[in-house]
Amino acid sequence: MSARGDLGWIGDTTRSGLDRFNPFVHLAKLSEGRFWVAALLTPAIVIIALIVVYPTIYGITLSFREMRLLRPDLGTGFVGLKHYIDMLQDQVFWWSLRNTAMWVVLSIALELALGMASALALNRSLPGLKLIGVIVLLPWFLPNVVAGNMWALMLDARLGVINDILVRIGVLDTFKAWFADPTSAFGAAVLVEAWHGFPFFTLFIMAALKGIPEEHYEAAAVDGASRFQVFRWITMPALKPVIVISVILHVITLVNSPDLLLILTKGGPGNATMVLSLYAFENAYSDFDFGYSAALSVVMLALLLLFAYLYVRASNLLANQ
Amino acid sequence: MIVRSATTRRIENIATYAVALGFAAFCVLPLLWLLLTSLKPESDIITSEGVVYIPSKLILSNFVAIWQQTDFPVLFRNSLVTTMVTVALSLTAGTIAAYAFSREYFAGRQSMLLGLLLLRMFPAVVKIIPLFIIMRGLGLLDTRVGLGIAYTSFLLPLFIWLMKGFFDAIPRDLEDAARIDGCTRLGALWRIVLPVARNGIMATTIFIGIAAWNEFIFALILTTSAGSRTWPVGLQLMVGEFQLPWGMLAAGGVLSIIPVVILFAIVQRSMLHGLTEGATKG
Repeated sequence: MSARGDLGWIGDTTRSGLDRFNPFVHLAKLSEGRFWVAALLTPAIVIIALIVVYPTIYGITLSFREMRLLRPDLGTGFVGLKHYIDMLQDQVFWWSLRNTAMWVVLSIALELALGMASALALNRSLPGLKLIGVIVLLPWFLPNVVAGNMWALMLDARLGVINDILVRIGVLDTFKAWFADPTSAFGAAVLVEAWHGFPFFTLFIMAALKGIPEEHYEAAAVDGASRFQVFRWITMPALKPVIVISVILHVITLVNSPDLLLILTKGGPGNATMVLSLYAFENAYSDFDFGYSAALSVVMLALLLLFAYLYVRASNLLANQ
Repeated sequence: MIVRSATTRRIENIATYAVALGFAAFCVLPLLWLLLTSLKPESDIITSEGVVYIPSKLILSNFVAIWQQTDFPVLFRNSLVTTMVTVALSLTAGTIAAYAFSREYFAGRQSMLLGLLLLRMFPAVVKIIPLFIIMRGLGLLDTRVGLGIAYTSFLLPLFIWLMKGFFDAIPRDLEDAARIDGCTRLGALWRIVLPVARNGIMATTIFIGIAAWNEFIFALILTTSAGSRTWPVGLQLMVGEFQLPWGMLAAGGVLSIIPVVILFAIVQRSMLHGLTEGATKG
């Protein structure tokens, strides 16, 4: 076989009789035509249209309709803005909104700080740090179910190892029921989220640090820049785009995922750790009130879009100064 | 001063190791505690004299018990089938779509890419409810295939984004050379690009696979019976409703994360590279 034939077997134009039955021959001919891009994109577009775009539009229209599986007598008619008006009167909604803001701000602050500290330490070229750099990312890959219950066991009021350690070193007098008190329940949940989520920032910040050319540091050293000046004028500007993007991505995750709080607290005690995603989930899962749940989700989506818009604008403004 | 004094450098190195080891301990000790709990007899977990750090003996009976006395093998099999469905759909549809986004410039390309990113913003619940209704209508509710399809709704867009990054990193010259040598476009993709992108495809697939294996919320709503329930839902039920002993639950947790840890270890280098590619180059 010639080199040409070897590389081009799929599109070989010398046709034997059997080629008629070889689907690759037909696909190869198709790939030379004008529908090549369409052929490549069609499967993904069909799947996304059917299971993402259509359900999403359906979900948004649901927020204007009545749909309670436990109350079929109410029907599934159009109710306009009823759910949104109900929401304004709903104490739990306002409480969840406030908790969502706190949940996002506290988690992001803690995770960004941990991510930055770990990335700066692990970025130095010393033996053994590469391995630690991989180990540190492990929590991020763990399932919420395992991460959540593992910490629930460690924080347990009766058998928790964290209670035991804190009592032994004298921080606590007796074992504490972390998830029974509103403040400590919220704090404990943020701690677990930070453990689970901070490696996301480590990963991105480390990648950005690797992308800073060595010459920049050398030039700064020649100019006699202090450690702080190097960080302020070389490291930070290089990290900023990555930090902006990873914060947006993680805020989306934090606002949209009820998993960890569902596992740790179910929103309790009272509604102390109830966030919007969990409230929307509970309305759908426990009460089968799909209409109201959809309306809550639409509000979440609107808040996220508003946040992303304002945040990107704010960070661009700072960059142009 | 380029050269700092040896003492300063030594102090800095010690501080670096202290921080790094602190983080390593923070990340690993909880997992080691989980592992230790799974190997302890129940009498060392629930005790009258506080927490036991060095168990009286190490046992494997918790692992045997969770595997034999609960439907854990079924849960595992269900998760495996669901993950396979998601991976198969994402891999086939996602790879070629990512290739098109990476190589071809067609009308609407930018807005479609932006659309894929925007899809991430939609709360899970807003998609789960309609999917619940649609799947109930199609008879796919409470089936492993239905759940695998539902996972594809958020993992296929992610797959396309990640895979596009890997394709972008492959020089176009490779395909041009193949084309000059007489390859068709499909030939160039199949014979040249895909083999070169092998590591990226594997890393992306495993990342998607881990996400599907770990998924909890979709599974909770879209499965209702033991026939299709996945392990995260099953394990959560064992914690909450069945109140199984902690040792058994810990053993279940350890078993479930073993595949994740192994796969992560195998492909971590190219996976981490691919995850950050878009953000650091953009």
